[in-house]
Amino acid sequence: MAFNFPLSSSLKKARWKVKIRDRERCEPPHVTIIKGTDAWRIDLRTREFMDDSPDPALVPKELLNLIFEEKALRQICEQWDKMYPNDKVSGDSGNEE
Amino acid sequence: MAIKSKEIQKHSKMFLLDHALKRQFHFASLEPNVISKKSQIGELSQHATKDSLWVSYASDLTNALMKNMPNSHSSLGLGLFIHPLDVNLIPVLSSRFRSIAYAANGGFLCPEELTEVFEADNRDDLFIGCNVDVKTETITFWRGNLKPLTVAFNAFGISGDGTKPNFEKCCVIDSGLTVQLGDYEAAVDAILYENDPEYRRRLSKLRLQEDQSFGASLRRLRKQRGLRREDFEPGLNSKTIARIEQGKVKRIHVRTRNILSQRLGVEPSEIETF
Repeated sequence: MAFNFPLSSSLKKARWKVKIRDRERCEPPHVTIIKGTDAWRIDLRTREFMDDSPDPALVPKELLNLIFEEKALRQICEQWDKMYPNDKVSGDSGNEE
Repeated sequence: MAIKSKEIQKHSKMFLLDHALKRQFHFASLEPNVISKKSQIGELSQHATKDSLWVSYASDLTNALMKNMPNSHSSLGLGLFIHPLDVNLIPVLSSRFRSIAYAANGGFLCPEELTEVFEADNRDDLFIGCNVDVKTETITFWRGNLKPLTVAFNAFGISGDGTKPNFEKCCVIDSGLTVQLGDYEAAVDAILYENDPEYRRRLSKLRLQEDQSFGASLRRLRKQRGLRREDFEPGLNSKTIARIEQGKVKRIHVRTRNILSQRLGVEPSEIETF
């Protein structure tokens, strides 16, 4: 089941969403921030934006602070691991073997 | 990742065929010519061009449009039909429009989100609706430029947490960024990435700073398929896969490439496009 990270009412009202969907491009584990027709992917291993476009600066700091809070981030990572057991956040980072 | 297409242009003229006059306010930013009566069709439709966008919520107005348009008229542009559609009318509509979109049993985004997609720079890579065909076990998704993309049911694998896609409850949400199949959701960019080589090619161009080697493509594709390096055995052992992915193998043998393509479910020549 798709994971929707709970947001404050002001962020929800502004149409922000934070999701992990059952079918994502698995490269690498990430969470997707959505507003309207724009989506930003954040790498759960490096905690960095994966794409230059749309401009990461458009994502409010309030939202980033929420998802980067230790407990929240752990919850998001656990959700990813549950949905993508073959590509866990703590797993293969491409440097093994 | 937003991809701007060269093909993107604003619709030069929008025509809204609708009896519900309230709905036109949601399309206001597209400045639609509203046709709510059959008598308005003849005059207004003369202004249509090959780049016009037609959105119809009324089957009687669609029928009247087809009857009133002279055969000499060039393409009417793009046609989106958000009402029950007689299947016999589809070939007629296809011959008069450059591209058409319709849904017998699926649905389209609400007017606000449709407008948002039509105005988006990346609208080619957003979905506006879907049509499920249970007989062929496929879903046709309509993109923001009204071009169709047909995807087999089996492209939607069961989620790691056991959630299965429910194809009877298919709809597009999140302003064209997500496909919802009951409790199951799929990212539109993942669907495009898996099923549209042209999308992958455009994405690859944007990855200028990323590794474009065969090994990197193989690794991305293997991850996409949810496979471990061991999953290529007995044909190829995991150490060989690791060496290829790490760029330590300079020439990939034809047999190796064939085993990889079989296991990954793509043509041998397609591996590099991932």
